[in-house]
Amino acid sequence: MSVLRRARLLGPAAVVALLAACAGNAPQDTLEPEGKYAKDIDNLISPIFVISGIVFVLVLGGAVLIAIKYRARDDEHFDDMPHQVHGNNTLEIGWTILPALILGVVGVLSVAAIFNLYEEPPADAVKVQVVGQQWWWEYRYDLDGDGSYEEIVTANELVIPSGEQVGLEITSRDVIHSFWAPKLNGKRDAVPNRSHPWNLQADQPGEYIGQCTEFCGLSHAEMRIKVVALERDDFDQWVTDQQVEAETYAEDDTSEEAEGYRVFTQQLCASCHLVAGVNDDEFSDESIPEFHRDSIGGPGTITDPELQASRHAPNLTHFMSRSTFAGAKFDLRRDTEECEALGVRWAEDEDDLERCLDRGALEAWMRNPPAEKAMAAEVVPGRSPRRGMPNLELTEEQIDQLVAYLSTLK
Amino acid sequence: MTDTTTSDQRAAAEALEQRSEQAAAIREAGLGAYAEGEDHDHHITNTGISNSKLAMWVFLGSECLLFGGLISTFLLYKNNNLAGGPTPHELYDIELTSISSFVLLMSSLTMVLAVSAIQRGEHARLRLWLLTTAVLGSVFISGQVYEFQVFVKEGLGFTTNSAGSAFFALTGFHGVHVTLGIVMLLSTVLLSLAGRIPRARAEAVEIVGLYWHFVDVVWVLIFTIVYLIP
Amino acid sequence: MTPTSGPLALPSGEAPPRNPLGVFARPTATRGWRSWITTVDHKRIGIMYGAASLFFLLIGGIEALLIRVQLATPDGQVLSADAYNQVYTMHGTTMIFLVVMPIGAAFMNYLIPLQIGARDVAFPRLNALSFWTFLGGGILLNSSWLLGGGADGGWFNYAPNNGVIYSPSHGIDFWNMGLIITGIASLVGAINLIVTCLNLRAPGMKLFRMPVFTWMALVTQFLLLFAIPVLTVAQFLLLFDRLFGARFFDVDAGADPLLWEHLFWIFGHPEVYIMVIPAFGVISEIIPVFSRKPLFGYPFMIFSGIAIGFLGWGVWAHHMFASGIGPLSVAAFSVSTMFIAVPTGVKIFNWLATMWGGRLKLEAPLLYSIGLVTMFTIGGLSGVTHAVAASDTQQTDTYYIVAHFHYVLFGGALFGFIGGWYFWWPKVFGYTLGNTVGKVNFWILLVGFNLTFGPMHILGLQGMPRRTYTYRDGYGFNLWNFVSTIGAFTIAVSFLVFFWNIWSSYKKAKASGLKMVADPWDGRSLEWTIQSPTPVHNFDISPTVHRLDDFWHRKYQENGDGKLVRIATSEQIVQPGNPRGVHLPSPSYWPIVLAAGLPFVGWGLIFNLWLCLVGGILIVAAIYGWVLEPSTAPEAARGPDDHVTPPDREGDGGQSAATEEAALVD
Repeated sequence: MSVLRRARLLGPAAVVALLAACAGNAPQDTLEPEGKYAKDIDNLISPIFVISGIVFVLVLGGAVLIAIKYRARDDEHFDDMPHQVHGNNTLEIGWTILPALILGVVGVLSVAAIFNLYEEPPADAVKVQVVGQQWWWEYRYDLDGDGSYEEIVTANELVIPSGEQVGLEITSRDVIHSFWAPKLNGKRDAVPNRSHPWNLQADQPGEYIGQCTEFCGLSHAEMRIKVVALERDDFDQWVTDQQVEAETYAEDDTSEEAEGYRVFTQQLCASCHLVAGVNDDEFSDESIPEFHRDSIGGPGTITDPELQASRHAPNLTHFMSRSTFAGAKFDLRRDTEECEALGVRWAEDEDDLERCLDRGALEAWMRNPPAEKAMAAEVVPGRSPRRGMPNLELTEEQIDQLVAYLSTLK
Repeated sequence: MTDTTTSDQRAAAEALEQRSEQAAAIREAGLGAYAEGEDHDHHITNTGISNSKLAMWVFLGSECLLFGGLISTFLLYKNNNLAGGPTPHELYDIELTSISSFVLLMSSLTMVLAVSAIQRGEHARLRLWLLTTAVLGSVFISGQVYEFQVFVKEGLGFTTNSAGSAFFALTGFHGVHVTLGIVMLLSTVLLSLAGRIPRARAEAVEIVGLYWHFVDVVWVLIFTIVYLIP
Repeated sequence: MTPTSGPLALPSGEAPPRNPLGVFARPTATRGWRSWITTVDHKRIGIMYGAASLFFLLIGGIEALLIRVQLATPDGQVLSADAYNQVYTMHGTTMIFLVVMPIGAAFMNYLIPLQIGARDVAFPRLNALSFWTFLGGGILLNSSWLLGGGADGGWFNYAPNNGVIYSPSHGIDFWNMGLIITGIASLVGAINLIVTCLNLRAPGMKLFRMPVFTWMALVTQFLLLFAIPVLTVAQFLLLFDRLFGARFFDVDAGADPLLWEHLFWIFGHPEVYIMVIPAFGVISEIIPVFSRKPLFGYPFMIFSGIAIGFLGWGVWAHHMFASGIGPLSVAAFSVSTMFIAVPTGVKIFNWLATMWGGRLKLEAPLLYSIGLVTMFTIGGLSGVTHAVAASDTQQTDTYYIVAHFHYVLFGGALFGFIGGWYFWWPKVFGYTLGNTVGKVNFWILLVGFNLTFGPMHILGLQGMPRRTYTYRDGYGFNLWNFVSTIGAFTIAVSFLVFFWNIWSSYKKAKASGLKMVADPWDGRSLEWTIQSPTPVHNFDISPTVHRLDDFWHRKYQENGDGKLVRIATSEQIVQPGNPRGVHLPSPSYWPIVLAAGLPFVGWGLIFNLWLCLVGGILIVAAIYGWVLEPSTAPEAARGPDDHVTPPDREGDGGQSAATEEAALVD
């Protein structure tokens, strides 16, 4: 326990901090930072909590003491007039200037910290475009440094190398969202037509939880964030894996995954979800005006605007390398210790896949997505296109086949 | 008997005098009952400005923020035609707008003449100048309507792009203000005809004038910011 | 007879009052519902503001309980996501615009004329218009519940989530037009009360002799005057977008969503002070009375209020630290925000210094005032912690902020106002609210309040975002959410106790049949120098004021030893309530008719333009009725003894006011 942490024991602000810290399993706790920026912020919060705590104790204690000490004993005492003091300029100027000085100090600390948070990432840093949309996150990587984020497109989980500063460009395709992984850094809004630089750093490999923090409509509560920090080698491996295109199946292939493939390409799935190497031709951002293309265009742009307000659906090319689906609301990889230990490559091995795939959740989702997550999945004629995944009325057989097919997308 | 009476009376009179002196002293010191204070007429307000006129000033203060918000919006969007269509800047007819701005400015002058007419009790002139002001205002509004319809013909409507929305909202809000001003002017003329604006009520005209001048001043700002600054 | 006039309400002038169509007679009822809907009396309007806001408090409170029930346990199933979004949006909107602001308006309407020694506000009919317009806006807003669902974009209603695409129901249209209408009400009220404060003060009532409550009210009204139009602009732009397809917030047309954020918070931050400053004024009246000492540092209190008013305009972007504005702006707004804590701190210290060395009578009003001082301090300090922009990036949009602003607005504004209710209740209604029940009420509220909002600090720091309809098990949120829900119901109980207190105290007072004294608390300001409940004409004659706390100094003087001793009883000083013939402005039908037209325009724009026509006709008819109605009631007597001229009135001048002797006889 650092000195500052100990000092937090002063005052109720400290009580708050203490209670928060004692809460045990709190994966979004802002007071237990695990990355450089979050730690910077935490180091700043600590002395301010201490100062606030002292002031609070003084004022509350003062008020209570005054109320007890000067309380009128009875009516007679009440009518015995006290000395009439109309004010005291010295005192009053004193308690104008003193807080101003304290706040001046806090202000200097604050301003310094702001510029820290805004520091530019080094040229060789991993750069990711973070795109918010109703109600999930897309992450697009710029690997060749040409400024366009198209080499890797993934959803729900942001994979980064640990111990390195990662540069984010945060934007949105529909309404305002806010990207927040509390243990790694503060939050930053994703605003359509704007791109906001932000930094992220996880000191250790691991999974860090967060969620959207700007109200964005129906499923704002279930627009979750997971940052997966990997050792550099694992990260490089992941990058290589992610760039592999998916296979296609021959017409006469009657395996279950081939049937699933046909369901995928022939039902509505393929008009929204891109699987690289399979249905790239379905997508085009040509109808999107130039100024808008950076955020709303790019790989996987749905051609028909009525299909989806944000013009994108999660890219499924490497679906089984993720541990969650549906805006990270549901676990794809079972939430057990042994499955978690398998990391991003949990589905590589068929036995692991069988053991760890949360088949029930995935099937329920495909049966009726709007029942699983609040979405505005139907078109409101003349007012609003689809927002979210509609019920495609799949049969149980089709669902089984789709699961078999999706299991191959590693 | 008589003496006693007289002395009693004298004593009573002295006591009365004393009391009233005391009362005066108490009043002087601001003591005693509120009911004993002297009543004061409120004919003069604390500020010396009549309620109605002060209210108009205060209201115009609020209007500044309204136009401030609209002008800021316009400045943000004035070149934003990303949705297609021209920007307003490409369509301005500065000559026409200069003329109509000049007309509106002249109406401030005639408004001043109207106020000074009623202050001198010249009712016919009051009505003449008020009508002139209203006509000049109407000319301005006609110019604006003409401009709007030219813009729409040239492909810039209210919903064409953000710049168009901002332009029409700003100038439209101003136009509505001018129109309301014209209604006020004409109502004043009618009231004057009905004999309800005697010289003593010259201030009513002055207050209408305040509003009218404000709307003119705002136009000077809008003309400069919207039309002249590229 | 003062020749004055309004720009729209052109006066009858010296021509004899006319009655052009024979139907414009002014109403004369002095009791019954008609007298209430036609009243122009600032006291009745104040009472109606209070009653209406208590009604809306009930609605907003039920919404709050629904929120807390939904969040009592993880994965709550009481409300759907859609219903939750509507409920929390309407809870915030209702509490801000239909509860806290109008409670402030109730106090200001009732008290400003009394505290400055005036007989009414400057424009009595406009005052009635303010109230009815506010009520119309509130009704329009809440009618959404019956007409397709409430707004679902949050009270801040960020673009582009407030656009048709992302909120295709009409809820946001109701929100938009309801608030434009309440904005009109606030603006009209602000103009009226500013003119009243500046122009209608009694002889000798210089600006720096005005009671602190009136001062804070004046600051508040200036904030309203300048803040409301900015919100109105934002809302008109949104209205144009939603109803007519304009492109202000259409991101597909390249619009910048930050425009809404800036406009909204330029209004929204002063709005916070609009809500809390009147409560500062309230307790600045209560604390001296119950401490037996003058307010410590009256000039500092006034100037700090003004300073907060000014600085309140320079801090709006602290609501936007995470929104993507540049580091320089963030730094500037971070620092300016910290410095607004300075004048606020001055107020806290001065209140404490007022109590220091006093004789504190810990009755309900003072308890609530101390409650404000301490609870607001908590809110202020948590405010400083997120004025630090870097740490705000962790705290903003979490429950930490929810805790913060409830400590400021509930712990600040509402505690002060409830204290004010206990304090001025005898003046307004002629009976005192039970003191013991009042204390019980206070302690239940204090405990419930801290149980509800205290844990939210922890929840926020643990990373629970606000505006979420559900949360999961395993995030450490369960315990404190449950505690918070218990607290919410405790608050509900305390309000039940309050309502019961009103009722039982009324029964008790009625049974005892005693008349309320004019000055029950041994007060300091002019409202205590007239009978309780306040006579319809306020003051028999205009009081002449010689100093700050004039009434107090007529009761108490220092003796030779510098000790304050009583020199007169209140009864010797207060006015007996026997006017010698007072002109009061006549009631009018037109304010309520005009106000009734506005919601119809709103409904019309949403459903059917013909309704706009109905609204428009009502409005135009009311304006003409307003202008043309005779300035006096038909039977108004004008005797030679009518020498007391009421303050200069809108359009009517002194000549045209009516005598209300009928009312006085009652």
